[in-house]
Amino acid sequence: MIESPARVSPNLGVKRRSPSSGRGWLWAASAVLIPTLIPPATLVWLVASRGIDIGIPARRLTELFVNTLGLTIAVTTTGLLIGTLTAYVTARTDISGRRAWMLIAALPLVVPSYVAALTIIGATGPGGVINEWLGWSIPTPYGFVGSWLALSIFLAPMAHLTLVPALRQIDPSTEEAAIGLGASRLKAFLTVTIPQARPALVAAALLVGLYTISDFGAVSLLRFDTFTRAIYTLYVGQIDRTPAIALSLILMVMAVAIILVQRKATTRATYYSRRVSTPGIFKLRGWPKVAAAGALAVYTILSLLVPVGVMARWLIRGLGAGQGVDQFWDEAARSIGVAVAAAAVAVIAAFPVAMVTARIKGRGAGLINSAVWAGYAIPHIAVGVAVVTFALRAARPLYQSLALLIVTYMAMFLAQAMGSAEDSLLRASPDLEHASRGLGSGPFATLRRITLPLARPGLLAGAALVFLSVMKELPATLLLRPNGFETLAVRIWSATGEGFYTQAATAGLVLLAVSVVPLLAVTRRDFSD
Amino acid sequence: MRSTRSLLLPLAVTVTLIVAACGSNQGDNTLTLYSGRSEELVQPLIDQFEEATGIEIDVRYGESPELAATLLAEGEETEADVFYAQDPASLGSVAALLAELPNTILSSVDERYRDRDNRWVGTSGRVRSFVYHTGTDIPLPQTIDDVTNPAWASQIGVAPTNGSFLAFVAAMILERGEEATSEWLEALAANDPVDFPANSPIVAAVDARQIDGGLVNHYYLLRLRAEGAGADAENHFIPAGDVGSLVMPAGAGILASTSNLETARRFVEFLLSRQAQEFFATETFEYPLVEGVEQAEGLPPLSEIVAPDIDLSALSGVLDRATELVAEAGLV
Repeated sequence: MIESPARVSPNLGVKRRSPSSGRGWLWAASAVLIPTLIPPATLVWLVASRGIDIGIPARRLTELFVNTLGLTIAVTTTGLLIGTLTAYVTARTDISGRRAWMLIAALPLVVPSYVAALTIIGATGPGGVINEWLGWSIPTPYGFVGSWLALSIFLAPMAHLTLVPALRQIDPSTEEAAIGLGASRLKAFLTVTIPQARPALVAAALLVGLYTISDFGAVSLLRFDTFTRAIYTLYVGQIDRTPAIALSLILMVMAVAIILVQRKATTRATYYSRRVSTPGIFKLRGWPKVAAAGALAVYTILSLLVPVGVMARWLIRGLGAGQGVDQFWDEAARSIGVAVAAAAVAVIAAFPVAMVTARIKGRGAGLINSAVWAGYAIPHIAVGVAVVTFALRAARPLYQSLALLIVTYMAMFLAQAMGSAEDSLLRASPDLEHASRGLGSGPFATLRRITLPLARPGLLAGAALVFLSVMKELPATLLLRPNGFETLAVRIWSATGEGFYTQAATAGLVLLAVSVVPLLAVTRRDFSD
Repeated sequence: MRSTRSLLLPLAVTVTLIVAACGSNQGDNTLTLYSGRSEELVQPLIDQFEEATGIEIDVRYGESPELAATLLAEGEETEADVFYAQDPASLGSVAALLAELPNTILSSVDERYRDRDNRWVGTSGRVRSFVYHTGTDIPLPQTIDDVTNPAWASQIGVAPTNGSFLAFVAAMILERGEEATSEWLEALAANDPVDFPANSPIVAAVDARQIDGGLVNHYYLLRLRAEGAGADAENHFIPAGDVGSLVMPAGAGILASTSNLETARRFVEFLLSRQAQEFFATETFEYPLVEGVEQAEGLPPLSEIVAPDIDLSALSGVLDRATELVAEAGLV
């Protein structure tokens, strides 16, 4: 092998070499994407082959569309507001115990939306825990209001987690300059801080918006008629699956449209080895301090104490009434096992994708990035409907197999693993890799000694995020799990449907306890100075 | 090196956990069951069967129509040996895939609660009931049409997407025809009912007097009482002999494609055994369908409930139509 130019001039060498090594990564990344393309391809093929007459009145479609879009916009707005508030107060002010608050505000991420809805139902109403403890009853907010509240409160941590690192990287000198020139603190925040945090805000809005459009648990339990609820109802309640498939395609198109709009609004980042400056800390005095502490306290009560309190109360009430309580060891083992497997597969798959999007770039990288995000955006109920049908018709040996479930999780959550890996690679300059090659190391040695260690924190953080998502995932798991493979999420769902609240509460508490572990791993990385 | 090791460890853990948790080994001594009845209700009974016989049962839990659709899609290649469903409509829709049951199984159940073509047999009975708050001063419905009475406006809980409600609507189509059913559904919708995702929250809402009444199955109230609540609600069985008091069996059938016929029969026989029938009476609060087994305390005998005369085998033919009519009436 003659690669002398590389030894003389790293830059020249990269240009000559990248077509060959780059193609390898491109091939690997493309192969990894096949599972993410199966659900959309299947839905389009099914609807095309069965005709577009789905037998659902236009009035109904309009209603579902308006409800889904309205909820998505509302939750994105309030989720972003709450997340920005918690992130700013804990990352940029001197509020006492801010490190603890920073972590606490991220914790509600472990609460799945169906558990959130369940606790709203259990806390409110005349028979609710609030009435039992405080003596006054709040009517249960079914429909839009309840779904909006549940999703805003429990999705805000997504914005919080995205914004904390971004807010801490903002150079405080620009804000100080604005204040020095006579701007108020609020004006400096709005005109200097927020514009600098714009990429993170857009990313957070995308995460919250896509989760809302995909959410199935909260809208089902709180009876708000969105596409996901209608699809599930049709899927489980009707023998003919055509209407469920058609609605899945419509919902998928909506989600992908959101991605396309977002991609127009942002450009790809390039920030090799950017120095993180010491975050500027503002001193809070007087009523803003009280208000900030009060807001954090109220948020913590609503997002953590209420769900845990309500479930603990149900457990105690059930035990008091002589209910036997399952241990859920098997379900916990299955949930953890499948989540670890999916996280490992997703991280392995994400690495070549991140190499393409962070190192090689170009048109192919843009396409691959879009495909990964499309896989993340397609609502899980639609993925479930599509993959079941695909496996039945075209991949029979995989039908109802654990392998198919794990690969489907990988396709749905690859974006989370890719995002973290890409971030690590962007922070590490490719010059190190060039130097390694220039000093005579082969591509594999460079990969093993330089690139992988640099990407390692990102890969592990990505794995933790995927683990968390799989633990909470419900609709695709309901449709795709192998026979007898009941997970914690599935048990919470079925126990709730049959009124076994003691069981649901027990499984819910186990799920929260298990999910806290990977979340702590993620926050330890993101929140460290 | 460190990164590869950090990935290998979770993989090893995973494989171990999955093997431990899954443990599915096919053979003569295993049976695959598709259960439209939930894990909470029937798994304890399945555990009893496994313990007594040493036969291992792999259960796929789901909604009954969902599993029926799954069976239709899988056809003869299905892994399922037995289909255990909430309602006759789901069983009926896969009748072509089911094997004829032997007389020894069929004869223990009244012919009203089994398939006319001997493809499935009822295993426990569930009655549609009107659950009400004991403090209500609205007169209780005497026919199913009374729930569309303005006195009950905004006071009735329904679960329009629930399988039992849809089967009840399907029965009404058989009894009254599509047009009359459509009119009833529209009248119900006009009475501003409160819709719920399932039966149990209706009963809880009635107990808490968020609403005064609801259309449910009889055992959900007993279930709520077992959870330590439900003291302020009561079941009312509509006496008119109309679909308001439909008796609907949960039932089971054996897939014709099974390679495990003997084991499958043993399981269906077990569902009709005294042990299982007593389990239904005392644990799931349903009506046993085999003679000589006592029903749950506090329930009127099945013979006293004035049920309509409906051919349950025909329900499957109108189930999807029922779903459509419910949607057209604007109830979902």
